[in-house]
Amino acid sequence: MRGFTVLLQKEFREAWRSWKFLWIPLVFALLGMSDPLTNYYMMDILNAIGNLPEGFEMLMPELMPVDLLQASIGQFQTIGLLVIIASFVGAISKERASGMATLLYVRPISFGAYFMSKFIVMSTVSLISILAGFAASVYYTVVLYGTFEIGTLMASFFTYFSWLLFVIAVTLMMSAAFTTVVATACAFAVIFIGQIVDAIVGAFWTISPWKLPVYGVQLMRGTMEMSDYWWSLSITLAITIICMSIGALTMKKNASMTKI
Amino acid sequence: MMEELAEVPWAVIAPLIVVQFILMIIALVDLRKIHATNGPKILWVFLIIFTSYIGSIAYFIVGRKQS
Repeated sequence: MRGFTVLLQKEFREAWRSWKFLWIPLVFALLGMSDPLTNYYMMDILNAIGNLPEGFEMLMPELMPVDLLQASIGQFQTIGLLVIIASFVGAISKERASGMATLLYVRPISFGAYFMSKFIVMSTVSLISILAGFAASVYYTVVLYGTFEIGTLMASFFTYFSWLLFVIAVTLMMSAAFTTVVATACAFAVIFIGQIVDAIVGAFWTISPWKLPVYGVQLMRGTMEMSDYWWSLSITLAITIICMSIGALTMKKNASMTKI
Repeated sequence: MMEELAEVPWAVIAPLIVVQFILMIIALVDLRKIHATNGPKILWVFLIIFTSYIGSIAYFIVGRKQS
């Protein structure tokens, strides 16, 4: 276990020195702020830059606090995931390409421990990030619109966190299996095309990891079929663990890909 | 002009501006410290300063050269 703590320290130091603990949470906070603010000031924004014709009238929908949280989660789902995947997809493959991995692989380290240390640091970064994002979104929603129930809010938060764990596991597995370019393409394909497919033909099934962020919001609305929720959550966690084991194995198998 | 400025709800807008500003400062500090970037350094300075937060994100994702 000594090796594991050392590797964990190395990963934390690396993430800290490349400012990942600071800038990714700040980006999520900005994304979380933007939706409640733009929706609240929509009329002013349209008047200022909209080029509206004289006498134009528009009926604004009456937004509930949950709707704004859903809009913020929608922002996290596009730009947020893009940032997380793009900044973490090189974690293993870039080390191999730059030759830094050689320095580590010649030592008697456990590949499982190395993979786990990377996974733990990434999940810590994303936990802090969505904490900042949710806090910003909830703060503005409470100030401008209305309050949330704390219990369902926490449930929604942890549901979204388990979805992010799935995203990180897929990203790391791709990074362990392929070179950086291929890994980026594959991770984007699984996460984003998966979402699109789920949005188009997802009505035919109710259990899938890509539905988890929507289910988190439905928990707050109180319209969730609980058996579907628990099945989706457990399947997501199972796939996460499978991806992690495949990742550790392929990392060991591809150790010879490293540049010397 | 001053009246218009006073009408802006600063309590609501200020956190947004502060967060953007911090992000810009972090990107600039990192740019000052880093040895080499992808593309000319001066280009990144302008991108970070003049595009609100997209420039900083782009810098952290593609601008930093890991050696």
